[in-house]
Amino acid sequence: MENSIIQVQGVSKIFGGLTAVNNVDLEVSEGAIYSIIGPNGAGKTTLFNCISGFYIPEHGTVLFKGQPLNGRSTDTICSLGLSRTYQNIRLFSNLTAIENVMVGQHPRLQENWIDAILRDRRCKREERESVAEGYKWLEFVGLSEFANAISGSLPYGAQRRLEIARALSSKPVLLLLDEPTAGMNPQETLEMTSLIRSLRDKFNITIILIEHDMHVVMGISDQIAVLDFGNKIAEGKPAEIQKNERVIEAYLGPGGAALANKYRRKKAS
Amino acid sequence: MKTTIRQSIRTGVTFGIVHIFFILIAFNSMIAVMLAKISGIKNPGEIPEAKFYIAYTLLMGLWVGIAALNKKKSLSFGTKILSSFSTGLTVAVLAGLLDVILSVILVKKVFIRDFLSVLSFDFIKATLLGMTPVNGTLATMAFILIGALAGSCLVILNNLKAVQAFWKTLGTWTKNIIGKIQYASRGKYHLIWQLVGIVIVGFIAVFLPTKWGSYWNYVFGMVGLYVILGLGLNIIVGLSGQLVLGYIAFFAIGAYTMALLNAPEPHHLLWGFWPALVLGIILSALSGLLLGLPIMRLRGDYLAIVTLGFGEIIRILLKSDVLTSFTGGPRGIQNIQGPMLFGRPFNSEVDFVYLIIAGVILASFVYNRLQQSRTGRAWLAIREDETVARATGVDTIKYKLLALAIGAAFAGLAGAIYASRNQFTGPDEHALMASINVLSLIIVGGMGNIPGTILGAFTLKGLPEILREFANYRLLAFGALLVVMMLSRPDGLIPSSRPKYELPKETAPDVEKKEASHGK
Amino acid sequence: MNDPSPHPLDPAGDKNLNAEPASNKKPKLKRSRLIKLLRPALGVVVLLYILFRLYQVLIVQHEYGADTWTRLLISGLIIGGVYALIAIGYTLVYGILFMINFAHGEVMMFGAYAALYSFWAFKLIKMPGDINFLNAYPVIAIILAFIIGMSVSATLGYFLEKIAYRPLRKAPRLVPLISAIGASIFLQNAAMLLFSPQMRDVSNPDILRRGAGWTISVSGSNVILPYTGVFTFVLSVILLIMLYMIVQRSKLGRAMRAVALDKKTAALMGVDVDSTISRTFIISGALAGAAGVMWGLHNGLVYYFVGFIPGIKAFTAAVLGGIGNLPGAMVGGMLLGIVESMGPAALGINFQLKDVLSFVILIIVLTFRPSGLLGEVLSEEKV
Repeated sequence: MENSIIQVQGVSKIFGGLTAVNNVDLEVSEGAIYSIIGPNGAGKTTLFNCISGFYIPEHGTVLFKGQPLNGRSTDTICSLGLSRTYQNIRLFSNLTAIENVMVGQHPRLQENWIDAILRDRRCKREERESVAEGYKWLEFVGLSEFANAISGSLPYGAQRRLEIARALSSKPVLLLLDEPTAGMNPQETLEMTSLIRSLRDKFNITIILIEHDMHVVMGISDQIAVLDFGNKIAEGKPAEIQKNERVIEAYLGPGGAALANKYRRKKAS
Repeated sequence: MKTTIRQSIRTGVTFGIVHIFFILIAFNSMIAVMLAKISGIKNPGEIPEAKFYIAYTLLMGLWVGIAALNKKKSLSFGTKILSSFSTGLTVAVLAGLLDVILSVILVKKVFIRDFLSVLSFDFIKATLLGMTPVNGTLATMAFILIGALAGSCLVILNNLKAVQAFWKTLGTWTKNIIGKIQYASRGKYHLIWQLVGIVIVGFIAVFLPTKWGSYWNYVFGMVGLYVILGLGLNIIVGLSGQLVLGYIAFFAIGAYTMALLNAPEPHHLLWGFWPALVLGIILSALSGLLLGLPIMRLRGDYLAIVTLGFGEIIRILLKSDVLTSFTGGPRGIQNIQGPMLFGRPFNSEVDFVYLIIAGVILASFVYNRLQQSRTGRAWLAIREDETVARATGVDTIKYKLLALAIGAAFAGLAGAIYASRNQFTGPDEHALMASINVLSLIIVGGMGNIPGTILGAFTLKGLPEILREFANYRLLAFGALLVVMMLSRPDGLIPSSRPKYELPKETAPDVEKKEASHGK
Repeated sequence: MNDPSPHPLDPAGDKNLNAEPASNKKPKLKRSRLIKLLRPALGVVVLLYILFRLYQVLIVQHEYGADTWTRLLISGLIIGGVYALIAIGYTLVYGILFMINFAHGEVMMFGAYAALYSFWAFKLIKMPGDINFLNAYPVIAIILAFIIGMSVSATLGYFLEKIAYRPLRKAPRLVPLISAIGASIFLQNAAMLLFSPQMRDVSNPDILRRGAGWTISVSGSNVILPYTGVFTFVLSVILLIMLYMIVQRSKLGRAMRAVALDKKTAALMGVDVDSTISRTFIISGALAGAAGVMWGLHNGLVYYFVGFIPGIKAFTAAVLGGIGNLPGAMVGGMLLGIVESMGPAALGINFQLKDVLSFVILIIVLTFRPSGLLGEVLSEEKV
């Protein structure tokens, strides 16, 4: 595929006796919103961890911007333009919101410890700029009034948005979001959905999403991959996936396809 | 009602055990001696007159009484008296039992001193308030009960509306004064007040050391050195979150560098203070790096024990005969020369105090600058969540090593000054305790901030010196203090607070216009 | 695990994840390859050095005869058993609470004092026939001394947990550590004030006289297999086996393992977490008490500071074996004892440096196996 930001080729991740991810291929083109769905335990987060460099797959490769990730450290990967959020929110809880976002800018700044001690021009300039930029990102996710609040004390939805702001402040080209709407009410979910869309629309950031909320997934995805027990069982546009029998059975169990058809007929009548 | 009594009895049992413990470590004697000295007797000896022991018993009872009504504000007057009485009675009974046992020992002349070293016959007689065993026991019980009831009365009186109102007005009055001071120092006046503050403190710092004698200069100097150590360890533990237990090893390296380069034995070198100081700092920093390399993959408690091992290795090597020709062996190094400033010797005790103050200022300055910078934030991120910090772009290995190196450098600075001041340095049996002391002082003082470190150093190093009376009980109190501090104020005396960043005045350009810049 | 968010005082947040992902090294490819080579290279260098020294000492110089080696081995096994008992205490507590019980050495020390005083008291009891209780009924005396010593230590362990650790269970890791340090200092000084700083001699019953033992002949000279030493070793092994049985087979053991793995879920499954933890401390205290009694019998000297160094050594042993791992503590303890005893001679190093050797071994093991010898290899972190 032209313009693939990321290519996952035959990746398998095995933990002792358990094959969490089994020979998965996928390709995401630049500027796309790509969702990975599947029942619990399907291996979605594991796949994420392989893509983002947290895990080294036993088999296969991951190519980011054409270069293999190849066991690079996660900080290198971040400076190459890949950022992510986490299923259980992992903020720097005892730092304030703006400090979290300022840490996110770390790979793009150059002030070193000598600059810090001497407080030279570079230091002063970068401090000023990172505060300003921090506020910008906070404002973008709607958290500028919480800038100096301890991030661990923020409400749940705000923490999720802060995590995204932190991931954004390194100006990534690829953003991995792990269940961004988990635990949110419909209103918050809508806001998060439009936020995600605007990331792609305004900044051309490619987004890979793990999600359970089907409204969200079907609403914003360009492509969807479905995992079940570590295998990719389907891939395609939202409409195709919705009708895919294997996918339905993965979620509803055997005979699920028939059940879904019955329900659809009832709805139509 | 029943629960109240049960609780009271439980409190009583606890205090009874405390009372027995105090007697068995001769704490009552120590208090009696103190009271005797206060009342003017010059040399009360180890076991002063019985009346002071009576005073002790009453005070003990008073404490029991006050504690008995702790957290019981809401109960009725009758219940309060009842619970205070129950607690007091329980303690009295336990004290009585102890007295009975002591009496038996006294009468039967059982030579129990081999087992419990304080129980000489004179001591037992004093504990029995100088009376016959039976009278003494009953008197002890009575005094404890009286003291308990008195203490409870004090608490009850304190809780009366009138008294509470008095405290409240006092509090408001103080707040008003503070508010007025803050108002007067607002805005540009703030700068003036700061300058005034600096001048006053500076004046005291320059003037006092010449006046208050060698002993206080020594103590003040020690406190200062510990502040420097505390700041260095704060970088490693407080900011970057690496639990290092052998920190004092870097201090030793700094001290030994200064010593080896400035003493007739064993190398006949006389490099001078300042070059040796710089070299000491550099060598300490390098050893920090060296320590860091094998431990980078370790976390948490594994890190702690390995660093502890490292500290011990350094200490044993310095102490052993193996390296004597290089390091001077167990005897240490003597006659270390002092510093020279502009050609004149700068080594009087007062000069050293100034030197240490300069060191503290330098250390605080560097610490402060690092704390609020990209480096400092990277360290904090590592502390909070190392894995995620990594994925957010922080090169954790580099920053962890940097923290170790800079932290070690601080210790090297302190060590070099220490060696020069003492004119002697040698391997210390208590090196591990010293590492633990530094760790305790930054945690008790408040980890991660400068005022906390200073306060911690004063509390854990300065106070024991001030309270010399309590000589034997110092460490006991120190241990108890650590536990109590952790139970009541784990964030330290001065908890750290995060800095506040305000939006810069110029308007931020529109976010919409920013294109996503592409990686690297 | 189920720990939501770390705290300022909690270095490196993740509790049970004691190793970094295996290949997260420097970004630049060439540098990373170099670094990857560094550790195995270092390992080879260390190994060669050790082999070289061994060759020198054993083959070239032949300084020590088989009798010396036997003596060293014997004393190594004896002290190894003691270390193992204390190390188990550390590892039990760490496995459940993820904290280093710094005051554990003091728990052992109080057990030693209890034994000291028991034996003394027995010696003072006069029996008909110009003999004292200690020597009239030595076996009973010894059993009683152990019971008293282990009870004292167990009780101390219980109250230690209740007062200094339980309120801090939810606090970040550094806080209970400092509390433990404070408790350790407090207990040491309490002992000093109560019992005086003097070093005391333990009065062994005559059948277990210090220094006496079976004589075996090894390559011409006589090597003594001390009664106290054999007794210590055998008892240590028995206690270790008993403990292993308890942890693996009994209900309490299951509860302990459950709480160690996941406190919240264990509580949801009906395990009384507080009581399990208390009982863990009681057991660990009892074992330390036994170690204290044995120390007193075998080494003879008891004083307020006697628990400190064995405490640190035993903790080193527990880490060496993989902290939180029960067989690891046993292996670590024995290994440390033997290395301490035979190492300096085997490598031709000054005996003064035997502690250095122990720590160096620790560092080497942890460099190549960050979770200890028998510890779980947690190679990749779960995100």
